[in-house]
Amino acid sequence: MSEKEQLDILEEWLRLHKGLIFKVVRAYTTEDPGDLFQEIIVQVWRSIPAYRHEAAVTTWLYRIALNTAIKWTKKEKKYSGTEPLDNLQHLLQESRSPMDERLSWLYGEISKLDEIDRSITLLLLEGFSYKEMSAILGISESNVGVKINRIKKQLIAKSKNYDQHRI
Amino acid sequence: MTNIEFDELKEIWAAQENRPHYVIDQNALQARIQSKMTGVLRHTDISEWLLIFVNLVAGCILLTLNPFQSGANIFMYVETTWMFATVAYIVISRIERIKASRRFDRSIHGDLNYAISVANYRVRLSAIILWNSLPMGAIMVLSGWEAGKFLSVGSVILISYFFAIYAGRKGLGQSKRRKRELLVLREKLEADS
Repeated sequence: MSEKEQLDILEEWLRLHKGLIFKVVRAYTTEDPGDLFQEIIVQVWRSIPAYRHEAAVTTWLYRIALNTAIKWTKKEKKYSGTEPLDNLQHLLQESRSPMDERLSWLYGEISKLDEIDRSITLLLLEGFSYKEMSAILGISESNVGVKINRIKKQLIAKSKNYDQHRI
Repeated sequence: MTNIEFDELKEIWAAQENRPHYVIDQNALQARIQSKMTGVLRHTDISEWLLIFVNLVAGCILLTLNPFQSGANIFMYVETTWMFATVAYIVISRIERIKASRRFDRSIHGDLNYAISVANYRVRLSAIILWNSLPMGAIMVLSGWEAGKFLSVGSVILISYFFAIYAGRKGLGQSKRRKRELLVLREKLEADS
């Protein structure tokens, strides 16, 4: 695969599925989204030659984006980022349309979960099946089920508190 | 009851579909991605290439100069052999590391396993940098002793040795911390089973 073909695929995937990557970025960081976004895009670009059309593009992208986000730490940034933060902040800008209050609350609750539970919650909300989640995460379906039950209970309990406060 | 409530959360989630959170600066993105793509050498690659380069160049210099020096001795030959052996070890380890990257699947668990194996490799590489300075220093001291330049050679070695220990310890500490972080992540993923 030539570099141009690889870049064309990246542009096409980005045009069609950037919202998916934004969700992962939003769930994993609020401080410097541009940096994580850039890291995910680079990993996606690297993964393109390995994509075999066995899975849907969205499944593939989620897999790469979550892998990158989970391992993304301050230390990781130190090796990958060389430009000052001022330059990175221009890469992504918050959308002008205000976010729905309940969605903002949901993202807030997701960001309180640990890195692994955050990825499971995102996949769950996106409507992936247990089987697909098991393939993405590399753990058994029964393990996925146990984790999902725990996360669901947590989120629902917190949503009740949210409703009470709002009333 | 639970399902209905969770379905509400899913509806809230789905409502964001047509309202992206961010606006991308395409030009800035393209510039950043291009620069990343052309310079993708990362920490491990840099350490490997640096070790290969330094040992290879130093070994070649010693090999070239040694036969023509009046003070050439057996320790200098040992030192040269040691440097080439280090290069061979790093090259073989590097090939094995790259081959290993193809063995893991693309799941998060597989990816974490791969990251842990890379972290293990980094720990080993940092340990090599750290401990390699010990026999190298000893060989150089003996070599200086043999050539009758113990004081001048000894002082240079002592200073270099402290630098090597400092850099080696720092690298080893960073690699071990990174490995611990990854092991914690894997434990979290495997929990609840």
